[in-house]
Amino acid sequence: MEQRFEGTPQATINLNGRRLTRSEVTNDWGLRLQWEIKRNGQVVATVNARTGLTYEHPDTAPGNYEVVLQMWRYVNYAKNPQGEFTASRFIDVSNRVTYTI
Amino acid sequence: MLNIGNEKIPLCHGLSRRSFLSIGATALAGMSLPNLMALEAQGAVDGERARIKNCITIFLVGSPGHVDTWDMKPQAPSEVRGKFNPIQTNVNGIQICEHFPLMARKMDKISLIRSLHHRTGATHENGQRWMMTGHDFNADSVKPHTGSVISRVFGQKSELPANVILPGPIGNTGAGNLHGQTAGHVGSAHEPFFLNADPAAANFRVADLEVPAGMSAARLDARRELLGQLDQLQRRTESNSTQMHDSSYNRAFRLLTSQRAKEAFDLNLETARTRDRYGRNTFGQSCLMARRLIEGGVRYVTVNHFDTVFGQSCWDMHADGGGLNNTYLDYERHLCPQFDWAFPALIDDLEQKGLLQETVVAVLSEFGRTPRLNGRGGRDHYPDAWTNFLCGGNIRGGQVVGSTDRIGARPHDNPILPPQILASIYHGMGINLDTTTMPGPGERPVRLVEAEPIRQLFA
Repeated sequence: MEQRFEGTPQATINLNGRRLTRSEVTNDWGLRLQWEIKRNGQVVATVNARTGLTYEHPDTAPGNYEVVLQMWRYVNYAKNPQGEFTASRFIDVSNRVTYTI
Repeated sequence: MLNIGNEKIPLCHGLSRRSFLSIGATALAGMSLPNLMALEAQGAVDGERARIKNCITIFLVGSPGHVDTWDMKPQAPSEVRGKFNPIQTNVNGIQICEHFPLMARKMDKISLIRSLHHRTGATHENGQRWMMTGHDFNADSVKPHTGSVISRVFGQKSELPANVILPGPIGNTGAGNLHGQTAGHVGSAHEPFFLNADPAAANFRVADLEVPAGMSAARLDARRELLGQLDQLQRRTESNSTQMHDSSYNRAFRLLTSQRAKEAFDLNLETARTRDRYGRNTFGQSCLMARRLIEGGVRYVTVNHFDTVFGQSCWDMHADGGGLNNTYLDYERHLCPQFDWAFPALIDDLEQKGLLQETVVAVLSEFGRTPRLNGRGGRDHYPDAWTNFLCGGNIRGGQVVGSTDRIGARPHDNPILPPQILASIYHGMGINLDTTTMPGPGERPVRLVEAEPIRQLFA
């Protein structure tokens, strides 16, 4: 019996200064949940978001930051020769917020 | 079709049990439930002594690498310590893998056993037999699942079966079909009730609790009456075992018609938030159902985290590039987070319902994984050392029982064998292992398990 994942996870995130606050995830698949942090369009960090509803990214390097909440979407465990998943991937489950330093 | 047990066991007249069930079901015009409980349970224990009344076993099919999860070796060479880092738990001095941050907050309730090992083969099935039954065995001497023993000793608390396995039986794990999830010689009345459905599915239903389509309640009652008349006739002419069969029919009817039983299996009675707390996946919803079943009167629930090790994400991290290609990425993104979401939710939920103090939760697996990474960055089977854990009931949390050497290759102190885990569960449930026996092959009385409980586990 292959594991089944029902529904589509959704959450909202808010920004207060650099402090991020997320809602609980509805239709939570229970897989890895992470804050994806981009600076000037490049991913600079992915941080486990399970440990709390708030997070403040410590990076203070100047730039335009964009943050979104992501969850692992398991389709199957197929991987390419480099060991990367070919069908399963992280998907965005929240709105995006931005701030500038 | 109701499934009670997942292995073909020849009957004396040459039919397989599966065939027998099919014939029985046909004869009863679709009523397969009477096959669930064929014999009356027998009490043999002072229930007043039992601090633990129920057990939930979470079985991690495939087996996590102990060095990657609950027995980390951060000072070991890189080919041993692997890719993950340890984090501090809420118990000073106990560290576990960084991908279990929520479990780390529950460590004060958990007793880790880091010196498990066994000395038989390194197949999944060897480990399953050990951890499900407390014995290794072959097809000629099938030993009963722990839940079946509990069913035999204590009987049912309610209309619900005493022993339930979710979501279904262990299937192909590579080396035969002796997984230790049958009642063996304690009798078909104590076979596990397999859900055989996915509780995470939007259209989830327990087929065995549904009155067959087209059959009204009145027709069901009529069938019960007819069956009762037949049973009266049989009772006058046949053996005690037939009378026990009659009783099981009555129980099966009660299960089929019981609103309480239906509700125990109905996850739609939970709030969306509660369902989210466990994870909207097969494993998480099985853990939630386990809590509901314990609440409803089931004594022993086993949740199989996966039913095979082939072709899907599971704990069997060989990283072989083929059909056994689980890697660190599966652990990091899928397996550890899925467990770390559902397991603490189960503990919290049991505690909030007042059930944790009488329910032991045992997280078990078949073996450990090789201390040194293989050439592809995976780890292979390793029965010489591994970690499992228990919590709930009068298990003393916040402790580590036993340890392994500096690379996790061997028990360093207090080596523990699988039967000791099950002996501890039996002991915690109030069973005197010196005096309690059950019928073995040929009705010869046999001890439940040849091991002593781990006294250190208990508060």
